Amino acid sequence: MTGRWKYWVLGGLAVAVIAAAIYFPVLRQRVRRAAKLQQQSEEQARRDLTQSLTVNPGEPRVKARLFWASNAEDPTLTGVTVELPLSNDPVLRSKQVLNTLLAGPVDSDLRTLPPDAVLLAFYLLPDGTGIADFSEALGTSIPSGIESEQLAVDSITRTLEANVPKVQRLKILIHGQEVETLAGHLDLTGTFVVNTKGTVAPAIVAPTPVTKPVTPVVATPAVAGKDAKTQQKR
Amino acid sequence: MPQPRTGLNIVVLDPAHGGTDPGARGTGGIRESEIALEIAAQVRRALESQGFQVVQTRQGNENPSFDDRSTIANAQSGAVFVTLHVSSTGLPGTARVYVNSELPQSASANGMIPWDRAQAPFQGLSRKLGDIVQGMLAQRFKGSPNTAQTASVRQLRTTAAPAIAVEISSVSVEAREDIDRMIPGVADAIARGVAQFKPSYVVASAPGATP
Repeated sequence: MTGRWKYWVLGGLAVAVIAAAIYFPVLRQRVRRAAKLQQQSEEQARRDLTQSLTVNPGEPRVKARLFWASNAEDPTLTGVTVELPLSNDPVLRSKQVLNTLLAGPVDSDLRTLPPDAVLLAFYLLPDGTGIADFSEALGTSIPSGIESEQLAVDSITRTLEANVPKVQRLKILIHGQEVETLAGHLDLTGTFVVNTKGTVAPAIVAPTPVTKPVTPVVATPAVAGKDAKTQQKR
Repeated sequence: MPQPRTGLNIVVLDPAHGGTDPGARGTGGIRESEIALEIAAQVRRALESQGFQVVQTRQGNENPSFDDRSTIANAQSGAVFVTLHVSSTGLPGTARVYVNSELPQSASANGMIPWDRAQAPFQGLSRKLGDIVQGMLAQRFKGSPNTAQTASVRQLRTTAAPAIAVEISSVSVEAREDIDRMIPGVADAIARGVAQFKPSYVVASAPGATP
């Protein structure tokens, strides 16, 4: 190779290296973006799907009352009136108000439910029992504690009470399953009263007993039959 | 033959969580399970100085199930149950007492109470104990409620005794010392509250007997 050709080849290689050095960060950014898109959770996709199904701008706009926290350190709820296009169908209407509740108030400090929680499904039984199936984030992202967990459930039940009269009680499932507690404290094994007719605090109705009676009035040891219960760790 | 009746003499303390379950966690590394155990130790000393016998549902970093903890309480006669918690939220330096949400009263034909709602016959007494202890806490920790709150606390539902949950705020404080400073006051309030409640609790001698 003559000296001239050598310079041409070296020059070409230098240009290629410079172009690669410029293009490499762009390429890396694109790869990261593609990976991030791939990582978008199934739940997020489901949220998009659910919201597009349940929010119908064609529905008549009505005043809905949603319950969020009064202030960041106060464990009480305040009703906020919001105009929403709501369906007359109680199941669709429940989904619409719960999705709005999940989306949160303008001031995010007043949220009662975690921002990444998703309503996966809502059913209404003929006896007025609503079944709300939330994603796991409802339990894993909520601040753990009796106060915060009760506030979350109260915000759900009071929002349903204010907007969907047909829902009289509520069962909360996590990813289609019954769980023992929301985040280590609040009992989710029963149903919560929704239509309280003036009573503010929701009351839990214990599940129909499926085990042997175990706590004796007298004489029999209190633990008899306890093992019939599934021993579920916190 | 009528059962002999005795008074309240045992307090079952339940430091919540433990083991692989730390409970509420603060950004500064504060864990509810550790503080609950520390509170239990100080409440125990305060109660023993008042003449009560104390039983704990866990002594160290274990995590008995809810039912195992209730089993310990339900095996006692003349006991009250106090489960101890530290919240993630709430005004720091305050303390709240919870009693279980209302459960349907339903003893079966043979007089047995279903395990799933063992707390049902004790709800009135739990409310009384809760209000007394909350009153004591409100005197010591400004900003705390004056009466006990109602919540669906899983641990309380299967407990066949007057039962309350005490939750202090919170693991979100910047320094662990802020919580440590509360513990003697919490211990004193619980011990004095239980002592004040004692005359109103007359029970049959059998474990888990209805009031």
